[in-house]
Amino acid sequence: MLIAAGLFAFSGLFALFGVYAERKVSAFIQDRLGPMETGKYGVLQTIADVIKLLIKELIIPGAADKWLFMMSPAIIFIAVYMGFAAIPWSSGLAPSNINLGLYYIFAIISIETLGILMAGWGSNNKYSILGAMRSAAQIVSYEIPAGFAIISVVMIAQTLDMQTISAQQGILSAEHTKFLGIWDVTNVGGILSWNIFRAPHLIIAFVIYFIASLAESNRAPFDIPEAESELVAGFHTEFTGMRFAFVFLAEYSMMFLVSMIAAVLFLGAWNTPLPNLGVVRLADWTTGVAWGIVWLAVKALALVGIQMWIRWTLPRLRVDQLMNLCWKILTPLAFACMLISGVWRLWVM
Amino acid sequence: MTLERAMFYLMSLVALSSGIYIAASRNLVRSVFMFFVTLMAIAGLYVLCMADFVAITQVVIYVGGVLVLIIFAFMLSGRETLSGLQQLNNKFISIHKVPAFLLTILFFIVMVNVVVKGNVNGIPWTAKAVLSGNVIGAKDTTVNNIGINLMGNYLLPFEIISILLMMALVGAAHLSRKERGI
Repeated sequence: MLIAAGLFAFSGLFALFGVYAERKVSAFIQDRLGPMETGKYGVLQTIADVIKLLIKELIIPGAADKWLFMMSPAIIFIAVYMGFAAIPWSSGLAPSNINLGLYYIFAIISIETLGILMAGWGSNNKYSILGAMRSAAQIVSYEIPAGFAIISVVMIAQTLDMQTISAQQGILSAEHTKFLGIWDVTNVGGILSWNIFRAPHLIIAFVIYFIASLAESNRAPFDIPEAESELVAGFHTEFTGMRFAFVFLAEYSMMFLVSMIAAVLFLGAWNTPLPNLGVVRLADWTTGVAWGIVWLAVKALALVGIQMWIRWTLPRLRVDQLMNLCWKILTPLAFACMLISGVWRLWVM
Repeated sequence: MTLERAMFYLMSLVALSSGIYIAASRNLVRSVFMFFVTLMAIAGLYVLCMADFVAITQVVIYVGGVLVLIIFAFMLSGRETLSGLQQLNNKFISIHKVPAFLLTILFFIVMVNVVVKGNVNGIPWTAKAVLSGNVIGAKDTTVNNIGINLMGNYLLPFEIISILLMMALVGAAHLSRKERGI
């Protein structure tokens, strides 16, 4: 119960921070100042926004399917929130240590699609339905390259347990770790023993997963489900007050969740990036439960930062370009990564 | 009553009541969304049977795949067609329902027979497996076991299923292909 409440508080706080950061980042990229009025440098802006959302009236459109409309924000948020249950934060510190953790997260995230479809249908609004359909089509297609990128990691790691996958990528590893398959770095650790360097083709898998995760969390350049210029706000057009807040909370939690998964699978999870250099035992000094939380949070936040950077830099893709990218480029590449993983595991590692 | 037993009855209650709602409701879309609740409850029952892999696979395939496709079909067909479907004869007793009625009665008889004659607690091979220690504990990894069995004992059915899926994929690609010269 305590952990659940803690995670809920965390995702709320992260959304507060995320919205503020997003505004500041976008302002920086577009050479503006962003929010400056509320508090010093506008730091209280998102808190003011939350209070505004809390006291707004909850409107149910007359033509809407009342139950579906009311349930959908909860389902969208709970799907993302439950994903956090299996993410390891540090060595020996995970909300729920299940041996199918990775597969569980993959399954739970796919429920979000259903919530979005429910919101779109329940609103009984053209824009909402179009947005929901686009979103579902996009998420279902991009699950395939994302899934194969994940499988290529699983083939290297030989487990679905998030905690074991994490432990393999550092000095706490139970097996021998080789940098690029040639140099034994079991005691050196650091950045050299991360998954993307244990098997270099996983760099491609990482990029594929990152692109697909942008599409799964409906972020630009894959934000056609909520394209403002065409669909008003997509599937959440009709939501007001707290319901809208939940949809937003889900979006920001999803950003953080996919970043954490990427960090755990490819970027060494809670392991330090600093290697042991002779007598300077940097990796030994910076490994521990508290350090683990710091490293994972830093990696995930860096990925979230890149997501924001991409959002304010790249233009939106058209639907056909989106599908071309998924089926003609990412999926074959992900298949190739999976094949290389098999060969790598059998003959190189 | 242990926690497991309480969970079992809770999950069964949810699965059964949502199933009845699906069958009885006139609102097609709502029954599809209710199907989601049924699927989750059944996934919970799988977890209680220590088939966690099956439970998660059920969520991935049915919730993430099949259910989304069904809703897609609804969204593409539009509201008018749907309301037309819902207006069809809704009398409780009618001649159209005789085959369905017969089928349910027969299936119900089969199920009752299974429960009465099955003697689930005294099956010889389970007793033997318990004696020889050939059982799976709550903390064991089931994935390795499934993988070895799929590639060993059950290789032929596995391959046949993959050919079937391949045929479906090729068929779908052929149907959705643009005709040349039109």
